[in-house]
Amino acid sequence: MERSRIFAVAVSLCLGVVVASVTPSSAQAPKNGGHLNLMQREELSQGFAIHETSTIATSFPSLPCFNNLVVFDQTKRAETVDNLVGELAEKWSWQDNYRNLVFFLRKDVKWHDGQPFTSKDVKFTFDMVREAPEAAGKLRLNPRKDWYTNVEKIEAPDPYTVVFHLKRPQPGLLVMLASGYSPVYAAHVNPATYRTGCIGTGPFKLKEWRKGEFVDYVKNPDYFMKGRPYLDSLRYVIIKERGTRTAALQAGQLDVSFPGETTKTAAEQLKKAVPGLVITPVAQAVSDNIIMNTKKPPFDNPKVRLAVSYAIDRRALISAVHQGGAVPGASQQPKPYGVWGLLEKDLLALPGYGKPADMKAQAKKLLAEAGITPQNPLRVEMATRAIAMYVDLASFVINELKQVGIEATLKQVETAQWHPMATRGEYQIGANLTGLGVDEPDANYYENYACGSPRNYSQYCSEEVMKMIEQQSQELNAQKRFALVATLQKKVEAESARPLLDWRLDYFTVWPHVKNLVPHDNIYNFGRMADVWRDK
Amino acid sequence: MKTYIAQRLGIGLLTLLGMSIVIFGMLRLAPGDIVDILFSTGGYVNPSERAAIEKELGLDRPVWVQYVEWLRQIVTGDLGKSYRYDLPAWEIIRPLIPVTLELAVLSLIVSVVLGVPLGVISAVRQDTGLDYVLRVFSLAGLSMPSFWLGMVIILSLVAWFGWIPPVTYVSPRENFLLHCVQFALPSLAVGYRSSALIMRITRSSLLEVMREDYIRTARAKGQSGRIVIWRHALKNAILPVVTVIGIEFAFLIGGLVVTETVFNLPGLARFLVEAILWRDYPIVQNLVMFIAIVVILSNLFVDMLYGFLDPRVRYGH
Amino acid sequence: MATRPLGVEVPAVAMALRRPGAWTVLARFCRKKPLGAIGGFLMLVILFTAVFANQLQTHDPIATDAGQSLARPGADHWLGSDHLGRDIYSRIVHGARVSLIVGLASTLLGSVLGGIIGLLSGYVGGKTDLITQRVMDILQGLPLLVLALVMSAALGPSIPNVVIAISIPIIPRAARVIRASVLSIREMQYVEAARAVGLRHLRIAFRHILPNTIGPFIVLCTAQLGSAILVEAALSFLGLGVPEPYPSWGRMLSVSAAEYAQKAPWLVLFPGLAISLAVFGSNLLGDALRDTLDPRLRGA
Repeated sequence: MERSRIFAVAVSLCLGVVVASVTPSSAQAPKNGGHLNLMQREELSQGFAIHETSTIATSFPSLPCFNNLVVFDQTKRAETVDNLVGELAEKWSWQDNYRNLVFFLRKDVKWHDGQPFTSKDVKFTFDMVREAPEAAGKLRLNPRKDWYTNVEKIEAPDPYTVVFHLKRPQPGLLVMLASGYSPVYAAHVNPATYRTGCIGTGPFKLKEWRKGEFVDYVKNPDYFMKGRPYLDSLRYVIIKERGTRTAALQAGQLDVSFPGETTKTAAEQLKKAVPGLVITPVAQAVSDNIIMNTKKPPFDNPKVRLAVSYAIDRRALISAVHQGGAVPGASQQPKPYGVWGLLEKDLLALPGYGKPADMKAQAKKLLAEAGITPQNPLRVEMATRAIAMYVDLASFVINELKQVGIEATLKQVETAQWHPMATRGEYQIGANLTGLGVDEPDANYYENYACGSPRNYSQYCSEEVMKMIEQQSQELNAQKRFALVATLQKKVEAESARPLLDWRLDYFTVWPHVKNLVPHDNIYNFGRMADVWRDK
Repeated sequence: MKTYIAQRLGIGLLTLLGMSIVIFGMLRLAPGDIVDILFSTGGYVNPSERAAIEKELGLDRPVWVQYVEWLRQIVTGDLGKSYRYDLPAWEIIRPLIPVTLELAVLSLIVSVVLGVPLGVISAVRQDTGLDYVLRVFSLAGLSMPSFWLGMVIILSLVAWFGWIPPVTYVSPRENFLLHCVQFALPSLAVGYRSSALIMRITRSSLLEVMREDYIRTARAKGQSGRIVIWRHALKNAILPVVTVIGIEFAFLIGGLVVTETVFNLPGLARFLVEAILWRDYPIVQNLVMFIAIVVILSNLFVDMLYGFLDPRVRYGH
Repeated sequence: MATRPLGVEVPAVAMALRRPGAWTVLARFCRKKPLGAIGGFLMLVILFTAVFANQLQTHDPIATDAGQSLARPGADHWLGSDHLGRDIYSRIVHGARVSLIVGLASTLLGSVLGGIIGLLSGYVGGKTDLITQRVMDILQGLPLLVLALVMSAALGPSIPNVVIAISIPIIPRAARVIRASVLSIREMQYVEAARAVGLRHLRIAFRHILPNTIGPFIVLCTAQLGSAILVEAALSFLGLGVPEPYPSWGRMLSVSAAEYAQKAPWLVLFPGLAISLAVFGSNLLGDALRDTLDPRLRGA
């Protein structure tokens, strides 16, 4: 009797030690239950149809409804290949030298309407997005078709296996599938219904979308991750008026800020009013840049373009326009926020980073070579969207250009007109913001620099650069690829078709009772909300 | 009387028809349409996809065909489908109406409760210091931008108390007290502005009436001054006030546009701005027509009330 | 010298009968209507500010200055600076120009057009009048801001477009006032006399009736000016008004002002005060003018 009791105690002690060592040493254990109010900056533009939009206004409030094949770990900040975790895919492997990507899917996943999830859904979704001829579904708008041009065929040999057959090796494809922009739609549901509702596999079920007011979610009791989500419900509160939503966050009516919406100054103000707020500065993967029409004078002349890049003092811009809430970088998000950022010494050698006087002098010299002098100034129209963020940026740039002899007048373009204007090349120079769905050079360069891409507003086309893009896309060795991407970044800055000005920071703010909501260095890829809990 | 109402309604209908043409035309004048905006949320443009969506929404048909189609829909009670939400317009507009109407009615009540007594006091104490103070006070209400007043209120509240009224709509059934709190401040903000006009008209019409001979006669007859004012003067002075109240109600909606935006109330005024920005024609057209109908009906109602209150005025001759 | 049959001192009589000089009229007005005088003074200050904006500014209103972001009101920035370091005082000074130009232009445009329509419609009468009235009803059936919103969206953001957008709702209101005035004058005797003499209608309309509508017209203008300024502010606040880089009081209140208001309340206070004072002045002046020019409405 005694021995068995001692034995039992010993075993329990051992188990206790084992359990204690296995549990993460976080201060508290997650609590179940509770509700969170999250800020929603504006009304959802196309409901939950993530595949038909490119705006965070749709992706952030839709993430809880969906799952991807793979995502970046929602509890870690860095978006690297090491931090990829499977959601709908249990395991995955590259085969045939990065030519085939095989996913082994989970078997215990159900759609919110009860139907089982199978490989058919994956094939349906990505055939639809890449506009395969045999695709069963069709998207009304398809902004990311170009992400999948290298996919030859998608095979679903059995209900829990999917194979992406690629035309050539492309290690970057896996990372693109981890973006918040790559959820899996249901094959048994008309894709158009995602504009009004959401049938997903995610940790939360859509309860109600009251137009213009809020989006309500309730916990998905059948979520495949046992024990998740912790929260009972979510509400994304739509507040368009900037002052009102800051006040609501401060007054505690909102628990979480909207990614990308809190500037440095606003964060300081919030912290002063409510010292307990938890503010995490992260990068947004949103850059300020200048687009120039390379097909028409004067910006068809690369010297003039380069002069523009020299004229703009990057550090002064960050200080003036963002009050320090941004970081300098080239076409990939800079370190430590992005994996592919140029090394410090390379970055500082780019135009606009040296001593302001020297840079401006260099700009004037280049302009003089193009025949532009103080006696013969260049007059251009700088277009920008009629939104404060854009206008502030453009005003600063105009000031900088004035100092080197380029007289630019501001032309505000309404949102609806911006993309058609840019795509049709009906502008000379413009101040632009670009969000990158994922920190992956393939996504970036095919979208913004490839010949004929609809988002290549500068209409820049260079055989050499295309070759460089293709080359880095197929490079399997990580170090070699890094070097290739670095060269590519330097090259496009030298061509100056789309000079990069800076990368914005967000001061993501949550109330202290919100636990485990970890912002990423990319506003589009976090917010699944499955790991988040509330400390009453 | 009945012919008069019928006549007025008939004219009202004609006016609505004319207005529908104006609104329809103006919207299509606007640069950019819903398809442009949809593409802007996608961040790109594609001509073939564009053509497909235009066809789907019926935007590729000639303008007059679309107009006739819209009229036909209204007559059959179908308000069309929102371009943005892909849902019946009525379904989207319906929950907005009670919010705006409630806000409008509450604001009107505030304006009358504030305006009429102040107008009376100001008239009775004409040209005294109090009169000037009240006139300046009411004029300040007319001069302040209502969105500024709302903003200052909210910012002051959060700065001093760390509290603001609920930013999500609280229905009276959910939590009556909170609902009242939520609607109190915006009604006050809008009501203050309208009260200015009502106060001025009350004051002026009361002054005019008080000069009338029969008031002097009544005074001479010995009835105490106060009773004289309240019984005789007010009854006659009330008529222009009623007219102004009616007009104000209709034009309150203009002030509601910014107030609903600042206080984040889900009414149709705020929604109208959003719909205009999104070129969601069906929603804009229907909301504008709705506002126009409210204006016409309230004008008619006021004229009826006028006729009822003033036996000298009779319609239908 | 002529005889003086009346035995009165001619100079004294002459002085008594002489029309009062402009300054006398002004002084009398100020004494009788002190509030109106204050209003007039306010409007003059704003007009002065608008005209001499370039001289009155202390900084370039669109120049940014990172080091001075959200600076408190002080010696360097009299009314503080915004998040980009732009001087609030200079922006308000230039905003006066914008608000006044837009307000005046739209008021005058709307009032003149509406006035002409009202004049002709009231004078001619009959079917023309009926139809015109119905058309005016259509334009008037919507609140000022709503119509201006739709028009502004339809035309696009630019100063001329905003002026047009705000002037259109003013037209029916102006037409109604002028028409009422015309209707009352039309029946007067001297008009009958003119017609009896055989003067052409247009001549009668413009030479005899029009001058007598000046009074109500001025009152109308000052009343509408206040509304026009407010509507412009609201449009700018909603993002549909005067575009950058012209500083507009209304736009200064949108976006960043409310966001940084707790750190820098002057961002919200001063532009709003500027708008309020401008409208206040116009209303005060308008009231006083109405009292003076139209005695029947005295006391209102």
